[in-house]
Amino acid sequence: MNPPGSLGVLEEKEEEHLAPPILGPSIHSDNPQERIQARRLRIAARLEARRREALGEYLDGKKESEEDQSKSYKQKEESRLKLAKLLLCGTELVTNIQVAADIREIHRRVEEEEIKRQRLEKLENEVKTSQDKFDEITVKWEEGKQRRIPQELWEMLNAQQVHCAGLIEDKNKLISELQQELKMKDDQYVKDLKKQSDDICLLLERMEEQVKNVMKTFRQELQNIEKAFEVERQELLTSNKKKWERALQAHNAKELEYLMNRIKKVEDYEKQLNKQRIWDCEEYNTIKIKLEQDVQILEQQLQQMKATYQLNQEKLEYNFQVLKKRDEESTVIKSQQKRKINRIHSTSSVLRTPQAVYSKKKRIYSKNLHDVLNNLRSKYNKQVKQFQEENQSLTSDYKRLVLQFKELQKAMRHFALIDDKRFREIWLMNEEEAKDLINRAFDVDRIISTHHLGLPWMAPDFWFLKNVGPISQQQQKSATQILEEVLMEAEKEGADEDSSESETYLDLPKQVSARTTRKILMLLCDESGFLIESKLLSLLLPLEKNECYLLRLDAVFSALGIENEDDLYKLVNFFLKYQTHHSPSSQEPLDLRAEKERSLVDGKSQEKEPPPSPKLIHPNDVLKILEAFVMSLRKPRDFWVPVKLLKAVRDDSKDSEYWEALTTVIPATTLNLWDALYTALEKYHLVLTQRAELLIENSSLERQNTELQQLLQQYLDTKINSELQVPPTQVFRVPTK
Amino acid sequence: MQDTQTTESPSIPSRSSTSTQDRSSTVGQTLSSAPQPSKPTPIIPPLAKSTGPGSGSGVRRMRRIIAEDAEWSLAIVPLLTELCIQHIVKNFQNNPILKQLLPEHQKKVLNHLSPDLPLAVTANLIDDESYWRRCCTQRWPVCHVDNHGGSWKRMFFELHLENLLKHFIPNTTDPAVILNLLPLCRNYVRAIRVDQFLPPVQLPAPPRGGDQSDSGSEGEMEEPAMDHYQLDNLVAGLSHLEELDLVYGVKDCGMNFEWNLFLFTYRDCHSLAATVKACHTLKIFRLTRSKVDDDKARILIRSLLDHPALEELDLSHNLIGDRGARAAAKLLSHSRLRVLNLANNQVRAPGAHSLAHALGHNSNLISLNLRLNCIEDEGGQALAHALHTNKCLTTLHLGGNELSEPTATLLSQVLTINTTLTSINLSCNHIGLDGGKQLLEGMSDNKTLLEFDLRLSDIAQESEYLIGQALCANREAARQRALNPSHFMSPVTVKGPENPAG
Repeated sequence: MNPPGSLGVLEEKEEEHLAPPILGPSIHSDNPQERIQARRLRIAARLEARRREALGEYLDGKKESEEDQSKSYKQKEESRLKLAKLLLCGTELVTNIQVAADIREIHRRVEEEEIKRQRLEKLENEVKTSQDKFDEITVKWEEGKQRRIPQELWEMLNAQQVHCAGLIEDKNKLISELQQELKMKDDQYVKDLKKQSDDICLLLERMEEQVKNVMKTFRQELQNIEKAFEVERQELLTSNKKKWERALQAHNAKELEYLMNRIKKVEDYEKQLNKQRIWDCEEYNTIKIKLEQDVQILEQQLQQMKATYQLNQEKLEYNFQVLKKRDEESTVIKSQQKRKINRIHSTSSVLRTPQAVYSKKKRIYSKNLHDVLNNLRSKYNKQVKQFQEENQSLTSDYKRLVLQFKELQKAMRHFALIDDKRFREIWLMNEEEAKDLINRAFDVDRIISTHHLGLPWMAPDFWFLKNVGPISQQQQKSATQILEEVLMEAEKEGADEDSSESETYLDLPKQVSARTTRKILMLLCDESGFLIESKLLSLLLPLEKNECYLLRLDAVFSALGIENEDDLYKLVNFFLKYQTHHSPSSQEPLDLRAEKERSLVDGKSQEKEPPPSPKLIHPNDVLKILEAFVMSLRKPRDFWVPVKLLKAVRDDSKDSEYWEALTTVIPATTLNLWDALYTALEKYHLVLTQRAELLIENSSLERQNTELQQLLQQYLDTKINSELQVPPTQVFRVPTK
Repeated sequence: MQDTQTTESPSIPSRSSTSTQDRSSTVGQTLSSAPQPSKPTPIIPPLAKSTGPGSGSGVRRMRRIIAEDAEWSLAIVPLLTELCIQHIVKNFQNNPILKQLLPEHQKKVLNHLSPDLPLAVTANLIDDESYWRRCCTQRWPVCHVDNHGGSWKRMFFELHLENLLKHFIPNTTDPAVILNLLPLCRNYVRAIRVDQFLPPVQLPAPPRGGDQSDSGSEGEMEEPAMDHYQLDNLVAGLSHLEELDLVYGVKDCGMNFEWNLFLFTYRDCHSLAATVKACHTLKIFRLTRSKVDDDKARILIRSLLDHPALEELDLSHNLIGDRGARAAAKLLSHSRLRVLNLANNQVRAPGAHSLAHALGHNSNLISLNLRLNCIEDEGGQALAHALHTNKCLTTLHLGGNELSEPTATLLSQVLTINTTLTSINLSCNHIGLDGGKQLLEGMSDNKTLLEFDLRLSDIAQESEYLIGQALCANREAARQRALNPSHFMSPVTVKGPENPAG
């Protein structure tokens, strides 16, 4: 099956294959070591080859078993053998013709040679015989020349002619024979040609057939091999698939197992982790607690240590002081001793010179004095220092307190404001509701009184009806607002001054009238110009008198620290009181004092009294009063905060009254009246309903009547009546309407 | 370019007019019925052809027509490169442009080139196999490219040259016809296979109708006038010539047969010998069916002595006798000849003796063919003796040599010893039953012989069959050796079977 060409290729491959083992250490290498190694390797390879040859049978057996296993290999081998046989037979079949031709040719040659030889022999014989004959004839010619007798000569000539003719005939015979042979050869040649062409035809036929056969068989074998391969492949595929599936299954199972293991492990680890975490947490907590406790203990110890340290320090300081004192004392004693010594010396010297004694004494005294002075000075200094320190600490404390207080105040104010606002809103809401109800009641009352009773109705006029918002809020006006009001009212100077006063200052200190206040304020304004800034004054110049006053007073109040209504009235009161109390001391005229007293009494007792004239207060006193007022105001400033707080507490005594009044806006008499009216109206309603029923009955009766009349009319108008001998119309008269 | 324009420009108006007519007709058709889809096709080709700038008006008209055509699209318009390639193809004879083009364009050009282009243009320019393939298939109905080394170009030139040589008539045909081709084909021709050489024509025809038998002698007398074409110039010019296969004879002479048509004259022989000697690249030299007798063979072989490249000598179907065989034997020892074919000659025992003597010491010859000679037992025995010492010969053909039993006995001895022979042919001999048995004995010890032809040699069928079995076993062994070379020594002789198979 394998063409020889491929064999050659394989051989080349084989040579190539043989080459590589020498690639390692080469025998032809220049290095002797390498050569030795190469030879060793070669010997080893040979031994190995021998061993393999010994095991050859085993290998063959193995091979055979392999062949048994592979179907395709068997098929291939089978096909190969078959095809090789086919090819061989085919070539033999084809070459048979050539061989046959060859052998024919050989036979022909042999025959040809034989024939040639015979022919040559024949020709040679012929030549010989003909030569003999020719010689005979030529001899006879010689004989004939000697003949003189014509008859003999003629005879001889005749014989000669016969001989020649014989010779020629022989030659001709030979020639014809040869020609015949040639013709036969020609025929033979033609036959051979024919045979040859036949052979060639046969050859071609066979070749074609061979080609066809070979192609067919090759194709068939190819198919067979392919089929075998296909089958084998299929088997391999299925087996591999199975293997693969099995492996895959195993793999899957393993994977699953691993997964489960993993999950389990993960869970375990998680548990462990959780445990660990909890344990850690607990540990952490305990440690923390412990450490905190330690810290606390340490801090306590620190504090204790600090306390002891302080104590020791103080003790030491005290000791130090004591020692200092002692030292001083000792110095003093020393100096005394010295002095004493000096004195003794001096006395000793005085004894000598009284002048010197005197001077010495003087010096001693001065020294003493000087010492005492020094002592005192140092004490003083110490004291000053101490007080300064105290002062410092106290001021800082004070400042801190003030700050705190202020913040508190701010908060208080804020809350108060909010409370107020909320209170006011609630108040307003309720009030509105109440007023709505009251208005409805009034409307009802009005309707009842005007429509049903025919009485003129007057809208009741209560003070609380006009009130809007919480009552006590009216007190919380600032000083400036009061001022404005006061000034405005004073401006009016109308007849309704009293009423307005009564209404506006209903809950104010009753003792002060508006006019008095105004007067006092004017006075204050005029006299205390120094309290107003010059800039403001220049700005006030173009303004109206009233406004000017207002702004001036504002400035003065801000300077004096008057902030709200109370302060203002306090000021006014103070003015008045001052007059009463200080007039004697300030040498006021009696009139004025009397007036003042009266005014004070009046302010308390009755309002209708004309207010005391403020003119009586001397402008010169104003400053003093103011000073006194400021001083007095200062004092309460110290406990101003609680006062303010107290003031912030709303006076709700009037509230209940107010709301009570709101409930009793309809008096009890009217209620009684309404009750009576209700009963009467009910009775009236009853009567009216009865009447209405009667009216309905009456109308129904009337309708029945008319219907009956109509029916009767019908009956009367029918024709039967006329046919009747006695018409019913004639029997009774129809009552005419 | 100019030519094409001038030739095309008159045609364009007519085309456009026809196309306008088409258009009007198509318009009419569109009015009456749906437009025919086949209509646009005759319109478009002119557009593809009218590439010249002078045909602008035509193009404009075209465009107007095409614009109304629903099936017209830009894709039909050929690319400029396409047009250029077309132009190059059209004018290739005058202005061959190929090497400067891009490979893909080269391919296109080559695909469109006509195989009728003059060889002077194409020979040294085109190397593309497909072009030469087209040339070959156009000229010759049967092409065996395998016989020409698988190259279509080489095949074309070899066949072309062969054709010229076949029809060359000395003194009549201009020798320039062949010599002009020489520069074109010198690089491509590697083999010359000529199976006919025409003799010169004699215009004053000699009396033929006379006696036919004398024509042969007549030829001999006029020998100088019967010389064939002298190959020396041609072969000297072909630098790659490797194979020379010549037959001095005339084919298809029919009834004009004359003996002198088949005459290999001495002048022919001398010139051929000189030619062969001068050609140092020659590997294969075949001179068959040419009535080469001993003298001519000696002349030829003398010139071949010590040839540097010659590997195969084929002098089969000639008239070589023992002297020629002796010369061949001398050649065997003075060259590197691998294949010697002396089939169908007149070698006899003395020639075989000399050949055997040469063979005994030769280490080059692989194949020896002495088919249809007459060496007989004497020569056969000599050859068998030579094979005892020869370690090279793989193929031996001794078919039809009148051999018989003695040769067979000697050969059977050779078979047991020799490990190089792979093919022996002893067909058409008289070996006989005993000889067959002896050969079978010899075969039983041989592991290398793959082919042993013993047909028609008077052997018993049984022994022939057994020999066949042994051969089969040997073949299997050889195959195994080829497949698993590691287990055996690499046999050089495996190459042998190529020759008989081929």
